[in-house]
Amino acid sequence: MKRRLLGAVSLALTAALTITGCGSSGGGGGTNGTATLKLVAADYGTGPENTSQKYWQDIADAFHKQNPKITVKVQTINWNDFDDQVKTMVQNHNYPDITEGDYFPDFAQAKLLYPAKDVMSDSTFKNLIPVFANLGTYNGTQYGMPFTTSSRTMFYNKKLFTQAGIANPPQTWDDVKTDALKIKALGKVGFGLPLGKEEAQAETLLWMLGNGGGYQDNGKWTIDSSQNVETMQFLADLVKSGATEPNPGTKNRTDLWKQFASGDIGMINGQGALIPIIKSGGKLSDADWASVPIPGKTGPLDKTLGVCDNVSAFNGNGHQAQIKAFLDFAYQDTYQVAFDKEYDLLPATNSGVQALSSDPVFAPFLKALPNSVQYPNDPVWSTVKSQIQSSIGTIVSKDPKSVLSALQQTATKGS
Amino acid sequence: MPARKGTAARVTRAAAPLLWLGPAIALVGVVVIWPVVVLFRTSLQHFTPNGFLIGSAGMDNFRALFDEPDLRGILLRTVAWVVVVVAVTMLLSLALAQLFNQRFPGRRVARWALIAPWAASVVMTSLVFRWALDSNSGVVNVFLHDLGLVKFGSNEADWLGRPFSAFVWMMIVAVFVSLPFSTYALLAGLQTIPPELHEAARVDGASPWRSYRSITLPLLRPAFLVAALINVINVFNSFPIIWEMTGGGPGHETSTTTVFMYQLKQAYIGESAAMSVINFLLVIIVVLVFLKATRWKDQVN
Repeated sequence: MKRRLLGAVSLALTAALTITGCGSSGGGGGTNGTATLKLVAADYGTGPENTSQKYWQDIADAFHKQNPKITVKVQTINWNDFDDQVKTMVQNHNYPDITEGDYFPDFAQAKLLYPAKDVMSDSTFKNLIPVFANLGTYNGTQYGMPFTTSSRTMFYNKKLFTQAGIANPPQTWDDVKTDALKIKALGKVGFGLPLGKEEAQAETLLWMLGNGGGYQDNGKWTIDSSQNVETMQFLADLVKSGATEPNPGTKNRTDLWKQFASGDIGMINGQGALIPIIKSGGKLSDADWASVPIPGKTGPLDKTLGVCDNVSAFNGNGHQAQIKAFLDFAYQDTYQVAFDKEYDLLPATNSGVQALSSDPVFAPFLKALPNSVQYPNDPVWSTVKSQIQSSIGTIVSKDPKSVLSALQQTATKGS
Repeated sequence: MPARKGTAARVTRAAAPLLWLGPAIALVGVVVIWPVVVLFRTSLQHFTPNGFLIGSAGMDNFRALFDEPDLRGILLRTVAWVVVVVAVTMLLSLALAQLFNQRFPGRRVARWALIAPWAASVVMTSLVFRWALDSNSGVVNVFLHDLGLVKFGSNEADWLGRPFSAFVWMMIVAVFVSLPFSTYALLAGLQTIPPELHEAARVDGASPWRSYRSITLPLLRPAFLVAALINVINVFNSFPIIWEMTGGGPGHETSTTTVFMYQLKQAYIGESAAMSVINFLLVIIVVLVFLKATRWKDQVN
């Protein structure tokens, strides 16, 4: 009798498990306009006190108050894992409704995204700054919607420069090397070189630009061009000379920025987002650091890298109208400016730029934005990018040319 | 028709256990067998990086996998990873189990403490070690710095930056998290050995070492083999330690096949499945060789 009871219980349990296993799919769409939107955003914060979860939750709450039928569920993901996790969601066909962070041109190619015009009112769409329109465009239609932007400059520690007896910030690669070695003699890191997973594609491109190279030239992949090989050779030698931190292939941007903020690094490529880190570090006063155009092989770059993080709207759950309502709400100036003030990044809307153009912190970065160089607009870019992130650090231990050739092969092979 | 009635009754009787076994069989089928089938199928298909099936790939995924220049190093590293971690774990566990089998004050507390690395999430343990090894402020480096052995921020202090030292440290963490299980398995084995045997040996004048070799070890063999085998499988499949501490990088220089499989998945789903098939076959081969080499049947039965 007892045994039979046990069997019945286990049968019921198994049945329950199977049923719940199947029952968890299906989105929150309703017929009467109620819906739950899933928003996945990268986390720009450096800790729990300034996490982007809070920024987006504030918008979501305010939006829900005005639109009680639509609930926005916010999930923020640390930058190091953002690409992996979004990719995994898509591969499993478990689509978010909105993402904000890296943009994947191949999602547009695979017809997973709504065109920008379908999920934004005309006025919101026209307010997006035009420099980055091409980056989010596939086959003549714009899918990626810029949300926040940045332009890159080189930051240097004036205090360390004075201690090392260096009068002026470097202009050329040779200057960088000489100055870095002088700072190293003080027991600090000369040049912070983040070739780790977080944003190696940016650091790599900044160096390539310094030698007239880049990932693409007129839409053709040129990763293993002779200039780029020369550039990577220089970088590998720079690392071997001890002018950088050891093992740059395993070092991430944010970690090195924090080290710069604590006064242990002489020079590092950065953007506005480095400023709050310096301020919260409390070690460097405003007079202890400055930012200058990034040195190139023979002189400073006249065009820097402009990066924009995009919003993408996925069509997998059919929430077009709700997404449109939310994006029009989230792109208001107040939220653009709040975001930029929080993270010292730049706005992505014309009215946002206007609101900040007189601010002394933002002005120099804003000025560099219009003629900046961007990442390739190519569906295979996301694959190439993740390979750069994992492999570019090996230029030190392997032959730089072979690393670049492998990347070029991936880029031209397509997916 | 009595004959038919008899058959029907026999069938019913024979089928009766199915009612009880059915749910378990169904569960095994759904969560074990089916994924393996899908895995093999995926390894022969061509998927876009976004998870859309665009046709059959034949053996292309396997060809691409074997053409990966880093694969050789990854396979060798995987072998080193499994052999070293399991061997060190089992040796230390033998000693620890012996220790915990003695009566000493505070034994209960000590036994509980041993469970800690087992109870803590592996990801958490790995993160703790990652920060402890930080080249500027990690506690390991602070300690070594105070002893005057390393300089902060130097190449020597950058334990996780150099592939070899990173791999050694990750092995240490893997041993650390594997110890509790093996020790408890061996401890259970030790407690099944009747104390009279050791008493008899002592009366016969055997030294403690002799009685350990001739009585404890042979009788511990079944427990030892089970623990070692489960460790081989666990360590081979171990993912979070390497992923949290180095991410397999730089490049693939600290990846094992399990981590490499995940790295491939970002862009090459089919090739990743091919790697997974190879992993699956490797585990089966390793286990079969292990069973054969240890004459499992004679020992455990």
